[in-house]
Amino acid sequence: MKAETASYGEFERLAMPLFDSLYNFARWLAEDATEAEDLVQETFKKALHGFASFVPDSDFRAWMFRILRNTFLTSRTGLRARLTVELDPEDEETTPVTWETPESLALASATREALQAALDGLPVVYREAVLLCDVEEMKYQEIAQVLSVPVGTVMSRIARGRKLLRQMLAGERSVRSGSAWK
Amino acid sequence: MTNCLTWQGRVASYVDAELPCPEMEAFRAHLATCPDCAATTLALMESKMAVRRAGNRYAAPPELRAKVLSLAKDEPAVARGAIGGDRARFRTIVPRYWTGWAIVTAALLLLAAGLFLAANRRQNAKAVAEFADLHVTALASANPVEVVSTDRHTVKPWFQGRIPFTFDLPDLQATPYTLVGGRVAYFHQEPGAHLIFGYQRHLISVFIFRDTPQVAMPASFFADNTSSFTLRTWTQQGLRYVILGDANAAAIANLMELLQRAR
Repeated sequence: MKAETASYGEFERLAMPLFDSLYNFARWLAEDATEAEDLVQETFKKALHGFASFVPDSDFRAWMFRILRNTFLTSRTGLRARLTVELDPEDEETTPVTWETPESLALASATREALQAALDGLPVVYREAVLLCDVEEMKYQEIAQVLSVPVGTVMSRIARGRKLLRQMLAGERSVRSGSAWK
Repeated sequence: MTNCLTWQGRVASYVDAELPCPEMEAFRAHLATCPDCAATTLALMESKMAVRRAGNRYAAPPELRAKVLSLAKDEPAVARGAIGGDRARFRTIVPRYWTGWAIVTAALLLLAAGLFLAANRRQNAKAVAEFADLHVTALASANPVEVVSTDRHTVKPWFQGRIPFTFDLPDLQATPYTLVGGRVAYFHQEPGAHLIFGYQRHLISVFIFRDTPQVAMPASFFADNTSSFTLRTWTQQGLRYVILGDANAAAIANLMELLQRAR
C-alpha cells in the first residue's frame, strides 16, 4: 500500500503541473472544447496506466505531450487530419528558412486576435511544432520526442510554420485551404 | 570567419537558444557589428514573444481538473517495479485504516495547496521569461529607448499621455547609476513604462505597470537563474515594479531601494 501511494504521489507530482499546458495544447490541436477535455482525460488515463513504463530521469513532459498527441492522432479529428495530409517537400528540408524582416514585422506587430486566427489557420503539422517551440518553450530535441520525428524535421517545420504565419499576417495568401493536416 | 549569410541561417537557432555556447557568443559578437542581422534577430524575438502570448489562449475548466484528479479514485495503477508490486486501486492513496474525514480533508487541502503553488510557479516563470524577452529585445534594438535623456525631469513627463499612470524617479546624482532613457512597453496588452538604467557597463531594465491581475507576480524577490538575469519585483502605490538585468544582485537591490524612496 505504501508503494502504491508513492507511485501515485510521484505521478501526480510530475503530471499535474503540466495540466494547464496539456489542455491548452489539446485545444489548439482539437479546435473544440469538448474534444480537448476528452483528450486531456484520456491522456492522463493512459499515462496513469503506463507510468510503470516511464523511464525515471527521462523527459516526463515530452512523454506526456507525446501521449496527448498520439491520442489526438487516433481521435476522429486527428484521423481526418492524417487522411488529408500531403507530404510537403519542405517538411524534410533540414535547412531553416531564412527570416525576412518586412514580413516578420507584420507578425511582431499583429494583434493577439489576428495572431490567434493565423495560428488557427495554420495546418496542424506546423501549428503543433510552433506551439511546442514558442509557447511551451521546448528544445528541438524535446519536440522531436513529442512528434516522433528527427530534429532536422522539427527545425524545418518550425521554420515553415513561422514563415506561413508571417505570410498569412502579411496578407500574402491564406493557407486555410492548404493540405498539410488541415 | 563566418559570413553574414551563414549567420542569417542560424538566427532561429539563436533565438530558440539552440546554438552551442561558443556559437552563441560568436553570434552575439556578430550582432554587435551587423545591423541587418541584429534587425532580423530582433524581429524574430518579437515574433516569438507574440506567438507565446497568443498561444497561451485556453484555460482549462476547473471541472476538468477535478475530473482528472478523480481518475486517481477510479483508475487502477501500476506501481513502479522497484518500489511497488501488483496493480492496485488508486483510492489506496489514503490508507483505509486512516480513513478519518480529518485526514482526508487535510490531504485534499495539501493537494490543493500544492497544485496552487505549482500553477503559481509556472505562471511566475512565464512572467519572468516575458520580462526577460522585453529586456533583451529592447537592448538588441537599434533604438533601445524612445526618449533619450539622463534627466528624470525629461523622461518622466515624456510618458504623459502615453501610459495611464504616473510614477516618480529617483535623483541619481552621487549614485553609480545613470538614466539612459525610456520607452513604452506592453505586457499582456497593458501599456507601461520601460526605463533603462546604466550601471558600470551593464544596462538594467525597470518596468512599471499598473498592478492588475494581468501583471500577476509574487510580491517577493526572486531571480531567474536559468537566463542569468537577476529580477526583483514589488508593488508600490498601485504600481508593479520589475527590475531585471545582468548586473549583480546587490546592484539590482540598491537600484530597487532608490526607486522605492523616489519622491
